[in-house]
Amino acid sequence: MKLKRTLTALSLATVASLMLASCAPGDGGATGGENAVTVTVITPYLANAATKEVIELFSAEGEKLGWQVNVVDTAGDMNKLNSAFQDAAAQKPDAIVLGTGDPTQISLGLKAAADAGVPVFSIDAGEADGIAANVTSDNTDLGEQSANALIEAMGGQGAVVMLTHDPHPGVRARAEGARKVFKQAGIEVLEEKHVNVPGPVDDARTSVQDIISARGSEVSGIWAGWDEPALGATQAIDAAGITDISVVGVDGQDFAIAEIEKGGPFVATVKQDWKSISAKVVALISALLLDGTQPDQKQYELPGTLVTKK
Amino acid sequence: MMTLFPPLRSPKTSKNQGAFPRKSFLSRRLASSGTLIGLVGLIALFAVLRPKIFLTPLNFTNILEQIAILAMVAAVQTIVMVVGDFDLSVGSLASLVGVITAQLLVGGMDPVLAIFLALCSGIIAGAINGFLVAYLGLSAFISTLATMTSFTGLALLLSNGTTVFGLPDAFIWLGQGRVGPVPMPVIIAVILVILVWFVLSKTVLGRSWYAVGGNSEAARLSGVNTNLVRFSAFLASGFGAALAGIVLTARLASGHPSAADPLMLSSIAAVFLGITLSRTGQPTIGGTIVGLGIVGVLNNGLNILQVNSYVQQVLTGVIIILAVSLSLFSKKRR
Repeated sequence: MKLKRTLTALSLATVASLMLASCAPGDGGATGGENAVTVTVITPYLANAATKEVIELFSAEGEKLGWQVNVVDTAGDMNKLNSAFQDAAAQKPDAIVLGTGDPTQISLGLKAAADAGVPVFSIDAGEADGIAANVTSDNTDLGEQSANALIEAMGGQGAVVMLTHDPHPGVRARAEGARKVFKQAGIEVLEEKHVNVPGPVDDARTSVQDIISARGSEVSGIWAGWDEPALGATQAIDAAGITDISVVGVDGQDFAIAEIEKGGPFVATVKQDWKSISAKVVALISALLLDGTQPDQKQYELPGTLVTKK
Repeated sequence: MMTLFPPLRSPKTSKNQGAFPRKSFLSRRLASSGTLIGLVGLIALFAVLRPKIFLTPLNFTNILEQIAILAMVAAVQTIVMVVGDFDLSVGSLASLVGVITAQLLVGGMDPVLAIFLALCSGIIAGAINGFLVAYLGLSAFISTLATMTSFTGLALLLSNGTTVFGLPDAFIWLGQGRVGPVPMPVIIAVILVILVWFVLSKTVLGRSWYAVGGNSEAARLSGVNTNLVRFSAFLASGFGAALAGIVLTARLASGHPSAADPLMLSSIAAVFLGITLSRTGQPTIGGTIVGLGIVGVLNNGLNILQVNSYVQQVLTGVIIILAVSLSLFSKKRR
């Protein structure tokens, strides 16, 4: 009996806190009142540091203009991503922004938005029917820049191992860019290793440890598609006490920059220009809402910045 | 407290009493060891294909290091599965505890105190699981699935979705240091495994776990406090997951909100592989170790053979199924 009462109380408390939580943004963030521009950002990858960063920058930029920005995360669930688009379309915001993710998997959601007449923009996703414009880093450029930095650290010769993740279109494009650079420079790619997500750091560490024991003497560089596997590779190399293998990553996350500053195997990463990317999306939406200016391109690709030891 | 658990015959005690004639015991042993033969077979295969690389002390140290953290989770998963339940939240709990540890350390807390608090948070999480399953009577599958989701959410909240780094060297030593040639995570895993083995096979609590898992109603009627027994299994699980999360954070020198998530499925796979070695169909810690061996040797061997990563995943599944069916067939033939 007592247990039942406790449970009832707990349920009531949960409902109450949910209601409070759902009210909060409306009370605190409605800077523009009834007529404020509302933008819904929908993302499957808020757990990813880079995605989170760019969405926060976008929200801040939008709120400066008095927009009300709502963020919906589906935690990697592409099916829910479609439902989130349908839900958002029903509320008819001024625009919907897809925050990373593969637009080919959300044709259903894009159709719902089109039917409701809500324009859709995307950050670091891909070109697709139903998306007014996609603003992203030039992933091929990110791959090329990091591959060139690796070749330089290797003294222009040797062989490399690539840590890849082809299901992610951005990482795939980086790998293609890097591959081309290695080929042109006459650097052999010994092996391409797929990195599992979640748990990319530990997975990369294990793979690199095994590669070192199998053919450590042949490897002089490790190219990683993003910073987390690069960190795992660095740790495996450090643990093995090897000093002649260099590592590069992409993304320019804080931990990667800290690792590069230590002067160990991790020599470079390429930071995506999230600030310019988010500002560009805000500018495109503003132009459309102001006087109906349509974006002049379906895809905008901004270059990254190479980060090496200062 | 211990008097709550009357001494019951564990499935293992009959063996010690010599109930079986020697010959039949031996043949039973052989028949049920298909998985063990599988492990030996895998080691032999990789040794023949890459003798100079696979069969080196360094590579075996690598394998042990690679499965050490999984072993911590699998050891406590064994306990939960002995009781007849699952704990699906072990991976996300380990991730959460890892993030908690990292945040406490980055905040400047003394490592010993931070580790203590992190272990406590794991035990509290285990108590929540145990309460839901043992006292509220929810299915372990549903309740740990639900807490798994919440733990993941908490880990994301506490880490702000990003990597927490900048941990003190004294702490990192726990995951990256060595005593002689032996990596610290291996030492910690061995201590935990011995502890779990001792409790499972030598104490009244261990026998009660087996009794409740074997036949909960019979255990209850013979005076075992079955709720408390199941609750305690989840407490152990929370502790083991927390320990794994702490060591993983030290190994990675950083806290990631999803770093330990893959440990859950692998730990259940290891326990299941081990069950094929058990004559009673209940998990044993020895069986789990053989299961861990298969997981570790397979991963390392395929890496060394430079098998394509996608093919590797397909092969891992196929080989696990082969190992389990082999032992099933050898049992049926008997």
